[in-house]
Formats: sequence, C-alpha cells, structure tokens
Amino acid sequence: MVFPLGRTRSDCSGFDQLTRLAKSLELVSFDKVDIDMSGCTWFDANMAAPLGALLYRASHQLNNVRILGAPPRLENILRKNEFLLNYGRLPLTDFNVTTIPYRRFEPTDGRYFGSYISKYLQGRGMPKMSAGLHKKFLESVYEMFSNAVIHSGTTLGIYSCGQYYPNVHRLDFSIGDLGMGIRENLRRRRQLDLPPDEAIVWALTGTNTTRTGPIPGGLGLKLLADFTTKNGGRIQIVSDRGYWELQGGASSARLLDLPFPGTVVNIELNTSDTKSYCLSSESNLGDIF
Amino acid sequence: MSEKIVIRPYEVVGSPQCVASEDGERVHALIKTALGEKRKVDLSFENVSVLTSAFLNSAVGQLYGEFSETDIQAGLSVSDMSQEDVDLLRRVVETAKSYFSNPDRLRRARREVLGEDDEQ
Repeated sequence: MVFPLGRTRSDCSGFDQLTRLAKSLELVSFDKVDIDMSGCTWFDANMAAPLGALLYRASHQLNNVRILGAPPRLENILRKNEFLLNYGRLPLTDFNVTTIPYRRFEPTDGRYFGSYISKYLQGRGMPKMSAGLHKKFLESVYEMFSNAVIHSGTTLGIYSCGQYYPNVHRLDFSIGDLGMGIRENLRRRRQLDLPPDEAIVWALTGTNTTRTGPIPGGLGLKLLADFTTKNGGRIQIVSDRGYWELQGGASSARLLDLPFPGTVVNIELNTSDTKSYCLSSESNLGDIF
Repeated sequence: MSEKIVIRPYEVVGSPQCVASEDGERVHALIKTALGEKRKVDLSFENVSVLTSAFLNSAVGQLYGEFSETDIQAGLSVSDMSQEDVDLLRRVVETAKSYFSNPDRLRRARREVLGEDDEQ
C-alpha cells in the first residue's frame, strides 16, 4: 500500500493524518508500506514520535516500511532527529543541536529515558532556561513517560521526540504509546463508558484516577496541565478518538474522525518563561502528612 | 529512645532522578518496614534533583492504605526538600487520603498487599 502523508503539524489536522494512516495500516501484514511524503510541505519534528509508533507497529506486523519522496529540507530534519535511521537513512549531524532525537523505549526503560532526556536537554543549542523551569520541564516529561508506563499497558513500546525552535522560544516534545488508551482504561478499570474526548477530560478532573490497587495516582496529567498553564505553553492529548488541548489556560476537547491506537501527549514549552519556579531550600516541612 | 532512621531516596534509587514508580516502591518497602517496627523515619531528599508524582505515589502515597494517618504523622518526617517538591508531596498526600477514603479501595489495596487476588 502507498499512503500519501501531507502536512503534519501538532494539531487536529496533523492527528487526522496520522489516524488515517493508522486505519490504513490496521489489517496490513506481509505487505509493502510506502509512506509518500512528496506532498508533505511541513512536518513538526516531534510528531515523529506518534508516526514512529504507527510505523513500528506496521513493521511488527511484518510489513516492509519505506519512507519516500520527502522534500530535502524535511528529509534532513528527520535524519537529524534520527527518525529516518529506522528506514535506511544515514544520520545527519545536528550542528545547531536543537533536536531531541526520536527514540523508542520499553516501559522498563525509565532510567534510560532519564539519561536520554537529561543529555539532550543540555545540548548547546537548547534553550537557556532558569534552573526552576528546567526542573519543571524535566518533571513534566517524566510524568508523561510514567503515565505511559503505568496506564497504557503497551507491549509495543513508548516513543518520544522533541524539537526546539529558538526563533519562537518554543520546545515541543511528544510521547506516544500503542497501549489501550484512556477510554479503554476507564472502561476496564472503572466500568465507565465515556466517549473518548470525555474520557480525557475525566482523567484531568479533580482526584479522578483509573488506579484500583494499593498505589494511588491520578496526578500526572493534572500536574502537566497546571505547569503548562503557568508556563504559557500548550499541551495536547490524543487517545482513541479523543483530542484535548490546553492553551492560554483554556481547554477544548473534540472527537477525531478516526482513533489513534494508543495515547499521545504533546507538550509545547514556552522557553522564554521567566516566572519563578521556586528552588529555595527554605520550605515549610510541617503538617505534610 | 530509638534513633530516627534516615532513608535517602538518592541512595536507594542510586540517582538524583527519583521519577519511576518502581524506584518509589524500593523506598516504600523500607519506610513500610520501619514504620511497621514502630520506628521513626526521616525521608531525606538531599541531592535529589527531580521528583515525580509517580515516584511519590509509590514511595509515600500507598502508605495511607497500610497505616493510619495518625501513625504516619507520628512516624514519618521529610527533610532537605525544596518548596516546589514539598508542594508536590502535599498534593500526593492529599490525593492518597482521598483515594483511600473510599472503603472499597482501601479493602482492595489491603487485600492486594496480603497477596490475595482482587480481580473477579
């Protein structure tokens, strides 16, 4: 099969592209899968994470996956972030050091993920963030990773990729998985059958959690949303057919036409944020428990 | 009077990044044993640079399914924590209290700790 992949941004239209691809790949095995990027005028580099997840599954279904026809500029970006190394290309040095390379992790790779994110966030082309903002961002991406580990039940991995845009002071980072998704999690663990967009909203509300065992939970996504609001950044969550976005403190949810077979969380960090994220050692340690 | 036992997540995890739930489990096992022996515990976050709710839920949050709030207040203290991290720990503790305020969950959690199957 040939799939023409058009302009793919970190927005609804971008995920519409990817969910169409997911649908096309669903039942394909022992086949050739050609992703034709000749009509792709833009590809947000962080979206290599959800694209990579879908193509990994296609390879896992024993298809021969090829990526063809990408315009040179795009091809270079996807070689710099090492995404295309999975599809027969050679790496291209990222002299500007603005990429957080595409990687696939197993749920047990928490420490490897930690080294990866710490290493690439310190690149010389990466933003000079305040210590507090740097720490909050690190915590946020760990929350994203932990969320995938704890809730997705994925057997096909967790995918990440990021890109810094120095001119607009934005750092985009994505984590995707091929797990059961928020809606299915809610259905299995809480016997709650909500539409996919409402399931995401449920997961972000109050003390809601799909946890049922001895370890409480339900804070990860809420912390992400709180931080993004304070930072002036943006967050998107896509799970099944649900699409949820938070920007400028305002959230919106809608249904995509087709489902994404897992969950993707995109965070866009405003790197020019000078707000105080307190790192003081003077803290009130009384009355915590 | 017995001395307070200092548990250092940095040492237990072997890293300044205390982020993974399973690393929190290691810390939790130590706290649980000490509190079970009626010993006082100081959880020192010295040299810890990054913390997540996933780690703290495992390390501290699940104690509320195993011990009473009074026992935790009497036995557990924290030190060497930044204000931001204290705020995160407070949210984790509030969430845990709310989570275990549901008697079904508390019962199920205790059953799971005892190794009984809670799935129907």
